[in-house]
Amino acid sequence: MKAIEARGLVKRYESVTALGGVDLDVDAGDFFGLFGPNGAGKTTLLRILTGQLAPTAGRANVLGIDPARDPLNVKAAIGIVPEVESPPSYLTASEYLYFVGRVRGVPDLPKAIDRWVTFFDLNEGRGTICRDLSKGTRQKLMLAAAFIHEPSLLFLDEPFINLDPIYQRKLKDFLLEYRDSGRTVFMCSHLLEIAEKLCDRVAVIDGGRIIATGSLAEVKRGERDLEAAFLRLVGERR
Amino acid sequence: MSYLLPLMLKEEFRLHSSYSSRRMFLAFPVIVALFSFAIAMTSQRLLEATPLPDAILFLHLSAFLYGLGVGAFGFLGAQYLERRHGHRNYLVAMPSLLPMSFRRTFLGMYVRDAVFYMALVLAPMVAGLAASVPFTGFRLTSIGFLFLAALISFLVGMSLSFFVSTVYMRSRVAFAGLVAGISVAFAAAGVFRVLPVEAILPGLSMHYGLPPFATPGAAALAGGMAGAGLIALCVAGALLLVPEQYEPRSVPVAEDELPGVDARLGIVRGYRVLLAKELVDLRRSGTIPKMFFSFVTPLLFLSFTAWFVRNGLRAPVGFNSVFYGAMVGFFGVLLYNWLNNVDAMDYYATLPVDVPRVIRTKLLAFLALTTGISTAFVVGVSALNGDLRLLWLALPVMFVTSVYMVVMTAYLTGLRTNSFLFDPGVLARFSVLAILPDLGLTILSFTVDRTPVFTISGIALVLTAMAAATALLYRGIDAKWARHDFAE
Repeated sequence: MKAIEARGLVKRYESVTALGGVDLDVDAGDFFGLFGPNGAGKTTLLRILTGQLAPTAGRANVLGIDPARDPLNVKAAIGIVPEVESPPSYLTASEYLYFVGRVRGVPDLPKAIDRWVTFFDLNEGRGTICRDLSKGTRQKLMLAAAFIHEPSLLFLDEPFINLDPIYQRKLKDFLLEYRDSGRTVFMCSHLLEIAEKLCDRVAVIDGGRIIATGSLAEVKRGERDLEAAFLRLVGERR
Repeated sequence: MSYLLPLMLKEEFRLHSSYSSRRMFLAFPVIVALFSFAIAMTSQRLLEATPLPDAILFLHLSAFLYGLGVGAFGFLGAQYLERRHGHRNYLVAMPSLLPMSFRRTFLGMYVRDAVFYMALVLAPMVAGLAASVPFTGFRLTSIGFLFLAALISFLVGMSLSFFVSTVYMRSRVAFAGLVAGISVAFAAAGVFRVLPVEAILPGLSMHYGLPPFATPGAAALAGGMAGAGLIALCVAGALLLVPEQYEPRSVPVAEDELPGVDARLGIVRGYRVLLAKELVDLRRSGTIPKMFFSFVTPLLFLSFTAWFVRNGLRAPVGFNSVFYGAMVGFFGVLLYNWLNNVDAMDYYATLPVDVPRVIRTKLLAFLALTTGISTAFVVGVSALNGDLRLLWLALPVMFVTSVYMVVMTAYLTGLRTNSFLFDPGVLARFSVLAILPDLGLTILSFTVDRTPVFTISGIALVLTAMAAATALLYRGIDAKWARHDFAE
């Protein structure tokens, strides 16, 4: 069963074409990695798939919902960690989780908040509004907010940025468990070393087009690691 | 500064263009010029009702107040540095990363805005007047003098505001003292008449020393010099006070309040937690006092003007409770703007919430915050004026006008009121939709004692039309804003 399906996605901003016709399939239960150089179109694609942005042309299907037509239902079904960690400035960490939980209608909310506050050690920031938290803590909070309703599909844009090695490890273990429970992860990242340990299927995007996609082994095509494969694929086009 | 200023001007131009489009933004000064041309063409008739010295006084007060609004960099700059504008960052924040001084970027902001607003408003206004010369016979030298004098009033306002806002960055007590001092000076001139207004507005003093009031001479020169000196002094003082190391003030929070506030708002059902968050945000960000002052100040100014017209000029204009009701509703729009400026809203993009729902939450917050203050003001002014007999009419006028104004503003500008009101297309629609019904109510309010049946029927008709328009616009919010995103 497909968790994500995209056909001919195009996004144009005046004279700039951010996506030039993207086709993509992600099966349910995949840990899917999307990689590409800066400005390749990763975040634009993620924003279209999560209903944050309407495509200029083409269509997508996420968990059976068209994100362009029904963005609210897509957002209700998935969890999103955006590229920039931006929780509301004037709420505390647990207040933000309460807010997200109430908006999403999470059952037994105090227990869910407690779980993620403990998991990411957000108690440290108790009594501090989000604006005054460190970048790393804000990133942990955005992760907790994306996980709190236990969605079956996660969209993560650079989830490891700003996390210290302890929490990078904790997050990796959690995401692998999450995938093993049959749920799907769609991740954009520049951290190829981490991604290689997590992803089972990957795609490389450059200039708004998918230039390679398949299993990790298929995309690596005999290269020693994902980084070497990435440099070959993108380097060939430079 | 030579490299910084052009970059800052480009940044400001691109920022304003991004609100609508480059073409629409460039249409703004053209509209100002056309407006000014129209005023010039009708000046003969206008000057029959308002003597030239009074019209010039009004011009300088407007330029000064406009400058005051533009120049509060101590507040605005702090907001740029402190608040993350979604994905935006500004040149003024660059000294955090580069070997530049905040003093330099703040001076850059001052010069940038002086040039920018001069080009956007003052210069087109003068161009409109100049275009009328073949029809009105105005002398170009008089128009040139008017530009110079108005520019001084604008820059005095801007510099004073810059200085006062940087004092605020250093000491709240000194700020309060300074504001009190300035208020006393203006009260001495405006209320008690112990000082001529031109003594505190050097641009006006300069203007009264120029044609057509006088032959250019020492008085005009002294006014001009005093203005230039005051501007230089305020800017130098402000730059001296700009801190070189900027540390945002942290907001300590004793306990989690959101669940408690949420629990108390059962009445708004589907909007409960969103409204609770708005109210917590408003309190913690310190926006409520700012909103209070920005609402109450124009109301006090209005009350003073009404008092002045009635008692100072002894003009037989019937400012009654109904008039105040309409005006209170009109000024409510200022508060809606504040509600949209508390924080960036990017995080909503990750949640199953759309822009219309957040707009409606802001409308609820507006009603929660203003209904009490507005009612108290109308009741208070009616009591002070001994005009409680019309309260039964004034309160519905106030309530319907408030709701209409805020819903209309929300419909036209969504969550970016400040930005969209720079779009000439939006501004034109806003002006028509705001001014027409308010003008109708104001005129009707003046005749309530002479033709009560006619007036009350007229007011009822206007209120019904406004209520119907409110319902239509409220429903239209969905269609207009559902596809917009939260990113600024």
